[in-house]
Amino acid sequence: MSLDEEAEQRLKAAIHFTVGGLCQSIGEECEKEFSRQVIAAIAETTFRQCEIFAKDLEAFARHAKRATVSSEDVKLVARRSTALSNFIQRKSEELASSNQDQKDKRKNAGKR
Amino acid sequence: MAENDDNIVFKKETVSKLLSSFFKEDKTKLSSDAVVLMAEMLKVFVKEAAQRSIKQAESEDCDKVDIDHFEKILPQLLLDF
Repeated sequence: MSLDEEAEQRLKAAIHFTVGGLCQSIGEECEKEFSRQVIAAIAETTFRQCEIFAKDLEAFARHAKRATVSSEDVKLVARRSTALSNFIQRKSEELASSNQDQKDKRKNAGKR
Repeated sequence: MAENDDNIVFKKETVSKLLSSFFKEDKTKLSSDAVVLMAEMLKVFVKEAAQRSIKQAESEDCDKVDIDHFEKILPQLLLDF
């Protein structure tokens, strides 16, 4: 599903918005200001990095003979940095346990 | 150091559409957990870029983070990810 120009612009704008918010928050903490050029550059870099991530994710899923990219594939993408890898592992476990909680809730609701 | 950027996130829909647009095969899909994890990862990527740029600006005694600070940290950032 490749994007037409308009859809791509909208996605880039969405990325830019979030990047701007994060930079502003971090800048406030450190009492430094980011130039608009830098925010735009970080946003553009993030957008392009997504292409690399996406292609890796697709390749990993395909290698595991799956059509759906799973959290295991994301963990592989995060493999280069130990800290990042551990962070993603933790988040994945949090997600799994919250998914389990939701399943249990639905199960118990059905029992009544 | 207070983390007050907890509520600034990449929306799931944005991440999902963005990643899907780069898939080569139409049949490749993203699990909802994968989308959430990728949103976290992108947030880390942006925070790293921002924080490294700030450190670079600080090391050059600059008050404002400019494009050349970002350019200097960019190669290592890409290698680390």
